[in-house]
Parts: sequence; C-alpha cells; structure tokens
Amino acid sequence: MKVALFIPCFVNDLYPHVAMATAELLEGYGVDVHYPLAQSCCGQPLSNNGDSQGACDAARRFTGIFKDYDYVVSPSGSCTAHVKHHYPWYIADNADYQALQPRIYEIVEFLQDVLKVEKLPKPVYFPHTVSIHQSCHGLRELGHAAPSELMIPYHSRLERILQLVDGIEIKQPERRDECCGFGGTFSVDEPEVSVAMGEDRVAQHEATGAQYIVGADPSCLMHMGGIIRHRCRPIRPLHIVEILTGRGGAA
Amino acid sequence: MSSREQILARLRQNRPQGPALPDIDAVPFITFDDKFDAFRTLVRNLGGDAVQLADGDSVLGVVQQRWPQHGRLVDLTVENHEESPSPHAWHDVDVAIVPGELAVAESAAVWVSHADNQWRSIYFLTQKLVLVVPRDAIVDTMRDAYRRIAIREQGFGGFISGSSRTADIEQSLVMGAHGAMAALVVFV
Amino acid sequence: MKNDNINHAAAAAAFLQDREQARWHDSAIWWVRQKRDMQAKQLPEWEQLRALAQQIKAHTLSRLDDYLQQFQANAEKNGVTVHWAADADEHNRIVHGILAAEGVKKLVKSKSMLTEECGLNPYLEQHGIEVIDTDLGERIVQLRQEPPSHIVMPAIHLKKEQISELFHRELGTEAGNNDPTYLTHAARANLREHFLTADAGLTGVNFAIAETGGVVVCTNEGNADLGTALPPIHIASMGLEKIIPRLEHLGVFTRLLARSAIGSPITTYTSHFHRARPGGQMHIVIVDNGRSDILGNDDFYQSLRCIRCGACMNTCPVYRRSTGHSYSYIIPGPIGSTLGPSRDIKKHGSMAFACTTCGSCSNVCPVKINLHEQLVLQRKRAFDAGTLKPAKKMGLLAMRFLTQHPSLMDAGGKVMRKVVPIVPDSLTRHSAWSRPGRALPEMPEQSFKEMWQARQEKKS
Ligand code: SF4
Repeated sequence: MKVALFIPCFVNDLYPHVAMATAELLEGYGVDVHYPLAQSCCGQPLSNNGDSQGACDAARRFTGIFKDYDYVVSPSGSCTAHVKHHYPWYIADNADYQALQPRIYEIVEFLQDVLKVEKLPKPVYFPHTVSIHQSCHGLRELGHAAPSELMIPYHSRLERILQLVDGIEIKQPERRDECCGFGGTFSVDEPEVSVAMGEDRVAQHEATGAQYIVGADPSCLMHMGGIIRHRCRPIRPLHIVEILTGRGGAA
Repeated sequence: MSSREQILARLRQNRPQGPALPDIDAVPFITFDDKFDAFRTLVRNLGGDAVQLADGDSVLGVVQQRWPQHGRLVDLTVENHEESPSPHAWHDVDVAIVPGELAVAESAAVWVSHADNQWRSIYFLTQKLVLVVPRDAIVDTMRDAYRRIAIREQGFGGFISGSSRTADIEQSLVMGAHGAMAALVVFV
Repeated sequence: MKNDNINHAAAAAAFLQDREQARWHDSAIWWVRQKRDMQAKQLPEWEQLRALAQQIKAHTLSRLDDYLQQFQANAEKNGVTVHWAADADEHNRIVHGILAAEGVKKLVKSKSMLTEECGLNPYLEQHGIEVIDTDLGERIVQLRQEPPSHIVMPAIHLKKEQISELFHRELGTEAGNNDPTYLTHAARANLREHFLTADAGLTGVNFAIAETGGVVVCTNEGNADLGTALPPIHIASMGLEKIIPRLEHLGVFTRLLARSAIGSPITTYTSHFHRARPGGQMHIVIVDNGRSDILGNDDFYQSLRCIRCGACMNTCPVYRRSTGHSYSYIIPGPIGSTLGPSRDIKKHGSMAFACTTCGSCSNVCPVKINLHEQLVLQRKRAFDAGTLKPAKKMGLLAMRFLTQHPSLMDAGGKVMRKVVPIVPDSLTRHSAWSRPGRALPEMPEQSFKEMWQARQEKKS
C-alpha cells in the first residue's frame, strides 16, 4: 500500500514534528509512506478568498502530484476537506481527480476506516487530562463527530481513537464544537473577532481542568496556541498524532 | 409589460430544477401517550393553563373560581352570544370565553375560527382568554391539526398557544405583550 | 435604513471594544441557540422534518411562477386585492397609494423585514403618514431611529438600562426602572392606544398558501392580530419566495419555525388571513426586488428557501461577537451575507468575508440552505468584481504564484523561520495577527521537507 503524505504548506513550515509524527504513525502500522516533494499549498486560501483561477490551478497541480498513489493522507482536517469536498467546485470533470477523490483521507479517518486499527503501534501511556477540540471542517465537512446542531446519534472519532491511549482522561468543553475563530485569512481580515472567539474557546478548554487541548487540525491549534502564549497560560495545544505516537507532552 | 408580467416571465425563465413534492405523511412524527398531559405541561410554561372539566362543573364556574374579581366577561360559546357594534368596542373585555375547535399536544396550540363571530379582535383585546375545547378534539402534532381545521370566521383562523409574550428586552420572558395576559384552556 | 458603507471588520472591532457588553450579547444569543437545541432534540423526526421542508421549498422554487398565479387567483376569489411590485420603490408606491386613497393618517405595522428592505417607513413618513412599529423590539429600535440588529430579536444589541432610559424619554416611564416586565407593560399600554386609533395595519407574511390564497403570520406578541383586527385596512407585504403549495405543508413549517427561531414549539399566534374583516379591505403586495435574479443563479437560488427564522444568526460565532449592526445589509448574519452580496456585491462584499466557514449555520438551518458554502462562492464574485482591498489582492496573487512554485515557497518559509525569532516584538506587535493579543508561532529549526530529506538520506 503506497500512501502519500499530504502535508499542508504551513504544517511543513511551522509544525514539522506533526508531519513527522504522522509519517511515523503510519509506518508503525507497516504502511509504505511517501512524501512527494513537489507538493505545495492545496489552494484553500485562494478558494476562500474568491480567487477561482488560482484555486483551480492549485487543484489541478495537486491532482497531478498525488494521482498515482493508493491513498493520500493528511494531518489537517481543513485541508483534507478542501481537497476532498471543494475541489469539485473547480475540477469536477477532471477524470484523474474523480479517481483520486475517494482515496483522500484525514489521518484519523485513515486509521479508523482503512487500516481499522484496534491498537496503537506501540503502547502509549499519557496520564493527563485533555480537552477535545473539534475543528469545524473536520467536524462538519468530514464528519469527525456528530455536530451539536444535528439531531443524530453521538459519535466522535477523536474520542474513539484516544481510548487506545492508557491513562488519558478525555473532556469536552462547554459549547462542545464552537469555532475557535481561526478561519484561515479570516484570522487577519477580522483579527479582533478572531481573537475574541479564540479567547473564549481557550477559556472553555481551560475550564475543563485539562492540561492539553487536543485536536486534528494544526491551524486551529496554531491560533489558540498564539493566544495561550500571549496570555502566558499553562494549557498546551497538541495535535492528536503527537499523542498517538507517544511524543505528546515532550515538546 | 406590467410588473406582474415581467416578474412572472423572469421567474419562468429562471426556473431551477426541483424535486417532486414529498409525501409529508411518509415520515412518522412524534406521538404522545397522554395528549392532555403533554398539552397541560407545555401550556403551563407558556403563560397558560389547562383543565379538564369535572362532572357537574361549568366553564363559567371554573372561570369564577380562578378569577373571582373579574371585570367584563363575554362568552362566545353560547348561542345568541353578545355582539359588539365595532371591533374596537371589545377593548374593555376582561375575560373572553371562546370556542376552540381543536387542541395540539406538541405545541399547546388551540385552533380558533368561529362560525358566526363578527369581530375577531376580541381574542386579542381581552385580558384573559378562555378557550373551550371538546375533550376528544386533541391531536398529536400540527400535521394532524392541519388535516382537521376549517377556516371560517370571515376567512380568519388561528392557532393560539398560551398567552401573549415577548422576550425583546434582554431575552427576559414577559407575559402580556399585546394580547391576553393569561390563557386558560378548558377541555369539556 | 442602514448605512451601506459599513465594513464588517471595522464595525466589529469597534463593538468588541466593550468586551463586557460583547460577552453579554454572545451569551444571550447563544442561549437562544441552546433553547433551539432542546426543542429539536425532543422530536425524533427533526432531521427528517428539515428534509421535508427543504424538499417542499425546493419544489416550490422550481415552479414559483405557477404557484404565484394560483395564489393570486385564489386570493382574488376571497375578495383580496393582489399587487405586484418589481422593486422596493414600486412596493412603497403601492402601499402609499392604498393608504392615500383612504386618507390613512396612522399605520400600525407588525414585523416585516421586507419593509425594512424596501425602506417603507421613511417613505411613508415623508408622505405625511405616521408609522408605528408595534413589535416591542421593532418599536424600541424605531424610537432609537436605528435599524434592527437581528431579524427575530430586533433589539438584542441593547441592555435594559438603555431601553429604560429610552422609554423614560419617549413614553414617560419612571426614571431608573429597568424591570423588563414594567417596561413591556408600559409599551403595551402605549401601543394599545395606537392600535385602537390606527386607520390601517400592515403585516409581513411568513407563509402564503397557493391552494387557499391566504397568508399566515406568526407572532408571539399578538401585534399582527391587533393591527389587522381593528383597523379596516390590512396590507400584507410578501417577498415572492414566501409561497408554499398547500395548507397541509404548514404542518411541516409551523413545526420548524418557532423551534428554530426562539426554541418554542410554536409562536403564540399563528394566524391565517384569507379575507378582510367585515367592512374592510385586504391587500397583498407581492414583491420581487431582486429575488427573480437570485432564482436564476445556480450558486445562490437556494437562499430563497429561507423562512427567516434567524437560527443561523444565533449559531453564528461571528454574528454573536459583532452584532447585526456590523453588517452592511439590513439582514445580518449568514443568510444576510449571501442575500446582501447577491443584491449588490460592491456594497456588501465585506459581509461575505465575515465568516470562518465553520458551517454551523448550514446545520441549524431548518430548510438546509448551504449557507457557509454560499458565502465562499460570494467571495468569488467579490474577487471578480474587484472589491478586495489592493493589499489583499496582491497577497492572493503572490500566493497563487507561490502555490505553483514550491521552491520559492520553501525559500520564503526558510527566511520566515530564521527572521521571525530575531525580529523585535515592537515590529510585529501591530500586525493583524498579533495586534488583538495573539503571539506568533514558535519557529522550528527546519521544515518538514528538510527533515524528511535528511531522514531519507540517512536511510539510504
Ligand atoms: S437561512 Fe435558514 S437558518 Fe437562516 S434565517 Fe433563513 S431559514 Fe433560518
């Protein structure tokens, strides 16, 4: 099984350890992991700002780079949602894309739905309390959990996979899935609203008594992390792959 | 071309694709074991109350007991009921007793559409509204209700659920916005 | 009327200066979202109900011209006069014409976002007609001479102290009495006088039934009922998308509307109007004002399914932290942010960007409008119409270029990782990222690409 890592541009530049943990996690399950060096940004910022030409070019480029792998896996719910659910706005008719689209996965989905993992590659003991951050695109576009607005049976991928970790205590913040306010370029277009939302979200995570905010989207964690650092708060954002590989809390 | 023709022409030209009308009965809706109990629990949260008339009691008796000091009372449930010269002349009614045709358990709503009342203003001007509903005329949901209602009263009909209310000031719920301050539903 | 020049980001930043008031606004409206959740949860069929509502509306939009004609024929059979208005001006002229013909001096109005959209009040006032908004929240904002900040809770941006002061000045209530019950009942007494002395009443329309030719108006206060039962003239103004085919369909929509809007199983009054009161007149004005154009747009026509419940505003984390007054279009929040730009992308372009694309709005919407997607699609129009600020547009074009040239992007990333840690705080503090209280990320030594390449070399 040839799996290509799709590492979003800002993760490549700012969160290399998250990308590395993703690779190691997959390798731990015996997966043949590749990292196509020609990849760049998936074009979501362009799409979200109305640059359809740029977004379309990015979608084509992405398809060309990834089309020959068995699966494409990424540690970002938002970027995965963009390539999986919004590329059709631009290249719905592209045959390569049509063939590739069902093989694109966010890392937790891939572990649960394709590899169907029932234990971690090596046992992880993480004796801490974590508060789950459901990032919006993972939640509402990929279906990571039952969104609080929908009257459907409750489920949560992140909670389910964290059950494989020993010693962990899992909490949910009040308003269990309200947006943290990052929103890509929204964070700098509307910085005051963005930070106000982030402050509220961080406070709700803190109120659970957790030491860590755990999520599957590095962008939300970056935004909340910036607010936490500015305010010198003790709680720490952590990507879920960092816990699953047993590196959590080391940084 | 008149505006009407222009608008219709544009709508015709711009028609999007659409599905056939769904069968709204294909979906099972909620049902209640005890419809009266569901109705009463709900209406009490909506500034109202509901009672079942005991044997030997009368609606008037229930009203007297609840509001012994009441002012002008008009009873539209009796034959040859009082008429008013104008819709405005009901403005000083304190208690209005009116026939309700049908009650809905899920919403504590009562359908009102009088066959021969001249001025519907009474339902909204009165301080206290008493709705008299036949005991077996209670259904589970609004879907059931719309199957059974008839619009009479000079083309007017309405569902009334509890008393008039507003939360426009800081989301604090206040009873008695413009219409009745209190609503009592009597099942007979 | 609203000032079209409002820029959402700037207005929201100003609103957030008073964090305490902003927090109150957020939690007051979040509470309405929670009440909606509690109601929805009680119905096992909730999601199927939304699907039914969506299908009924989608079907109706595909034959809107047929249903409107059927509606008109049936309304006329009931003795109702039906008027058609192509735009806001024509709507206002029609309403004024009806009132002027009967010498109306005072009009009582119940809530109608359509008349706000059309700017009816100032038009009638210029023509010497006194207009009294009778919904309590609408009355409050009318007395303050400002637009509503929410389509269901027009005065939700105000604290009771502000309303108390206003009522003291305008209605002569006790100074300093901030009790909502006292204030509401003072307004009740004042507005009763207006109801009893009005010459005509105007209502909006929640649903117009093609099969019966009647209109349905839902209120909790009873103001639409008093306003139509007392004066001899009833004018109902409706957007042409308010049509539903059959009476039985109300068995779907009345179950969704109040639960979604205010977390109540139903509004206090759900009134069905099919004729004038004895001796009176009833008029229905069907208004297009841009709707037929939206119908022809593949990306946006679904927004015409809207039943104006306001649930998308209540759930919107940006709306709750910025108030309706930060949006340039009269309808704020998610639905306003697609309707406004549909109407005029140059004026209302900033609204499409007042969104993190979290998607919560699309999930609460009782008619399942793809709101958050529509907002992204509106940005396309904003980009193409050239409404983006030059700096932003340059940034995007640079990004477009870098996306196609990853080696340059890598070089840029490398510079960033080296430079950011040594730039003094004073230089970054004023950036949009840092200004409101957000530190830059810590910079790692290497990019993942560098780490990966080193790892591969070691392996081989
Ligand atoms: S878009 Fe949907 S949620 Fe928003 S007001 Fe309209 S019907 Fe309600």
